[in-house]
Amino acid sequence: MTIRGETGFDLGGGPVPARELLGDLWRARELIGILSRKEFLVRYRRTSFGLIWAVALPLLQAIVLAVVLEKFVRFDTAGNYVVFAFAGTVVWTFFANALTGGVGSVTDNSGLSSKIYFPRAVFPIVSTLSGLYGLGITLIVLAGLSAATGDGIGVRLFLLVPATALLVVLATSLAAVAAALQVYFRDVRWIVTAILMPLFYLTPVIYPLDAPEVDSVRRVVQLNPVTGVVEAFRAATTGAEAGAASTVWVTLGWTVLAVSAAVALYRRHDRVLVDLL
Amino acid sequence: MIIVEHASKRYVKYDDTPMLATRLMRLHQRSERSELWAVRDADFTVQGGTCLGVIGRNGSGKSTLLRMLAGVTAPTTGRVAVGGRVAPLIAVGVGFHPELTGRENVYVSGAILGLRRPDIDRRFDEIVAFAELEKFIDTPVKFYSSGMFVRLGFAVSVAVEPDVLVVDEVLAVGDLAFQLRCIERMVAIREAGATVVVVSHNMNAIRRMCDRVLVLHDGLTRHDGDAASAIATFHDLLGEQREMDGNGLDGGDVEVDRHGEVERFELLGADGAPARHVAVGEECTAELRVRFERDVAGCLVGATVLSEWGVQAYGETSDWADLHGFTAGQVATFRMRFRAQLAGGSYSLHAGVVLPSGVHLTPIPVPVQFYVDGRSRVNGIADLDGRFDVVTE
Repeated sequence: MTIRGETGFDLGGGPVPARELLGDLWRARELIGILSRKEFLVRYRRTSFGLIWAVALPLLQAIVLAVVLEKFVRFDTAGNYVVFAFAGTVVWTFFANALTGGVGSVTDNSGLSSKIYFPRAVFPIVSTLSGLYGLGITLIVLAGLSAATGDGIGVRLFLLVPATALLVVLATSLAAVAAALQVYFRDVRWIVTAILMPLFYLTPVIYPLDAPEVDSVRRVVQLNPVTGVVEAFRAATTGAEAGAASTVWVTLGWTVLAVSAAVALYRRHDRVLVDLL
Repeated sequence: MIIVEHASKRYVKYDDTPMLATRLMRLHQRSERSELWAVRDADFTVQGGTCLGVIGRNGSGKSTLLRMLAGVTAPTTGRVAVGGRVAPLIAVGVGFHPELTGRENVYVSGAILGLRRPDIDRRFDEIVAFAELEKFIDTPVKFYSSGMFVRLGFAVSVAVEPDVLVVDEVLAVGDLAFQLRCIERMVAIREAGATVVVVSHNMNAIRRMCDRVLVLHDGLTRHDGDAASAIATFHDLLGEQREMDGNGLDGGDVEVDRHGEVERFELLGADGAPARHVAVGEECTAELRVRFERDVAGCLVGATVLSEWGVQAYGETSDWADLHGFTAGQVATFRMRFRAQLAGGSYSLHAGVVLPSGVHLTPIPVPVQFYVDGRSRVNGIADLDGRFDVVTE
């Protein structure tokens, strides 16, 4: 007898059908929105300047980059170097924050998940999406900088939209995979931190993809999942680099892989993760 | 509607938290795990409009069963299916953040419980009124007293109109007036056709609310029936457990000078049969059969009734003027007749054979656990059989 309906459940020992899992997630979209907003707002509660911090910090970051990088580590880049480096930093910061914040999202919310069910993937998704508010503000700063230093607001700035979408999906699915693994192996949090450290230097954040200095590790840089996103952001702001398109394909491949891994993991572990919290 | 088919839940406990290194090196893979079947072969179907109670001792699997019914965790084998929306009745605000105001928390908590934003908008005033927090709704909840916090958490929880309401031992929070409102609300939810599942140690609540009660013991369903029979079974199991644990009373500080052995200690109902479930005011008999191994010049019998919380509800010994002497090999049955003028709840009956000095002549028998099906609206321990009337002048 099937009795599940839209809001019920029917659980046996086996994995949940992918359709059901994604359907439940889709129905939780309002919850995801509310929780993400709460996460973002809580961060600035009881600070004197409140949301000004959310705008001021990315601006400050751009200024620091302009002063420091322009003076000391100037690479030969197509467009304005500050915009170039800022575009890379925006991507990297979001990606790194999404992973470090997301990896503990399921384990840290054990109080909530032991009392009530909603798809566990909501936790890493919320963790990533709450960073979206900050990213939005930063993107406006980036677009402004790009327009001010480059050739005005061009059509290519709209490339930021699919590029951001790609970044969010990639970061969220990787965070979801890490968060589920973290429940079983508490080392995962530190493994993620350890991987992110060298990965920063293997991502063309402050240097261009074709800089001669990276010749020896270029293969690795090209296979890095974040590289494609950085290149897409560059294409939107300072103009495309040679070899950028292929890295975007690599990133797309990684994203498909990460999403499938996340779905496979949560199909099997969604309703039993809580047993180990 | 709830369908549970041969559902079992196994927890794998690692002596240490699972470590990646051990897993990878496959060290001690088997020996470090110990398994626990928290619920075994649960099998039942509950139709809408029913109030199902679940009772059992701590560690009997109640909470695990409840978690499966709430969809929080999946059964290891078997099937648990629920038609419609399940909502837990939770005292502590679900997902409450101390820095957020009451208003903001209502929206967050409501969303977690599955309410849509328009639903919350519509019920917002009702939620605030239920919690009696009109004046403080825009204050961060960290400034709330614990009572206010609990009331708001509850108010959101009961605002959800679920198809299955899961209640875990929450009838004991807040003040009495608030508890009554919560129970009223649960009754209303059930009358609207929802299934209510209640886990509680409070036998009175179970007796009053549930049409059907499961008794769990070591993960097994030992009884599935009406509240009265379930409560009797539960008290039987409590007695069995006491027997296995050794003595119910902390016999350590009781002085025993062994002169004999208790062969039987029983509580009999008005019909003379052993009873675990008695009506208020019922004529009961405590019966103690003793085989004497040595001569006793004179002894007394005493009986005590303790409430669930260990408070002495009643205690009496036989009359000094009536000391009996016994010889070795003699078997004597002592009886004490009493009326169970007690408020509804769980009690234990204790008895002993003592010298006038207070020294026990036999090891203390295992207490009998029993339940008094009390009158509603009676609180406390004693039921003085009060009657109300009013005279106007």
